[in-house]
Amino acid sequence: MKCQMQASKLFNVLAVSIGLTFVYSTSAFAVDADAALSLARQNGCLKCHAVDKHKDGPAYRDIAAKYKDKDHAETVKKLINHITSGEKAKFPDGHEEEHKIIKVKDVAQQTNLIEWVLSLPGGKWPETD
Amino acid sequence: MKKLWATLRRPSVKYSLLSLLLVGFVSGIVFWGGFNTALEQTNKLEFCIGCHEMRDNVYVEYQETIHFKNRTGVRAICSDCHVPKDWTHKMMRKISASREVYEKIIGWVDTPEKFEAHRMEMATSEWKRMKASGSRECRNCHNFDAMEAKKQKPKAQKMHAQAKVEGKTCIDCHKGIAHLLPKEYIDPDE
Repeated sequence: MKCQMQASKLFNVLAVSIGLTFVYSTSAFAVDADAALSLARQNGCLKCHAVDKHKDGPAYRDIAAKYKDKDHAETVKKLINHITSGEKAKFPDGHEEEHKIIKVKDVAQQTNLIEWVLSLPGGKWPETD
Repeated sequence: MKKLWATLRRPSVKYSLLSLLLVGFVSGIVFWGGFNTALEQTNKLEFCIGCHEMRDNVYVEYQETIHFKNRTGVRAICSDCHVPKDWTHKMMRKISASREVYEKIIGWVDTPEKFEAHRMEMATSEWKRMKASGSRECRNCHNFDAMEAKKQKPKAQKMHAQAKVEGKTCIDCHKGIAHLLPKEYIDPDE
């Protein structure tokens, strides 16, 4: 009986893991663009980034182009780490500074922001301007 | 009423001038001390977050910022940024804050939704006040002349040098540093 319950639990965990992997690997994330833009504004992201133009940081469309052919789940993880860990970011003049850490700690909101950025079409990488 | 006024105006026949002066002096100290103590109580962090409107919204955001926790352990609390230090401006700010008591009573921002709906209005009003005073409350701790540019990050060095030349003060660039920016706020460079 105990063995059966453990097997059932293991099955559930595996099913959820496979489901999540499928969702991420196929980019089936339902992006809330308005919420993502609001979050970017609220956290001052747009002081250094813009959707279409290169400021101190690359344009969001260009970031999407950069990661277009990369593993999606890995990219989301990498970019969430980028906005939450304070890792170094390269500036146009070549110097490096810690990337600002996002104030909102809700992972779902952070994920939505990253997914929105990655969903933007029409960017170029390497950047042209 | 007339009788009371006449009594108040009549010179004392029972107490000496010295006694009256002494009583007046001591009462003055007690009253003034009490008034200032009460006033300073309203500047404490505990007072500000006594209301759920502040505790559940801006206080949560502020805890994630450098003004709450940092390498050197210097903390700026609500009143450090929102209440002037000098007496005249402090009193003016306290009087204008009486409107906030009324807004508390009517529940102007008593839910997260209402708070968000009015965030832009509240932030704009505070930015306007800070701009009008040349970011006086920021400058109680931060001063261009006391900054060692070499110890700043390259971008900060550049921006501060530019701001000094253009006559800007802190709030011109540093909006939303202790709280989230309003969703409706659009950065001039956006």
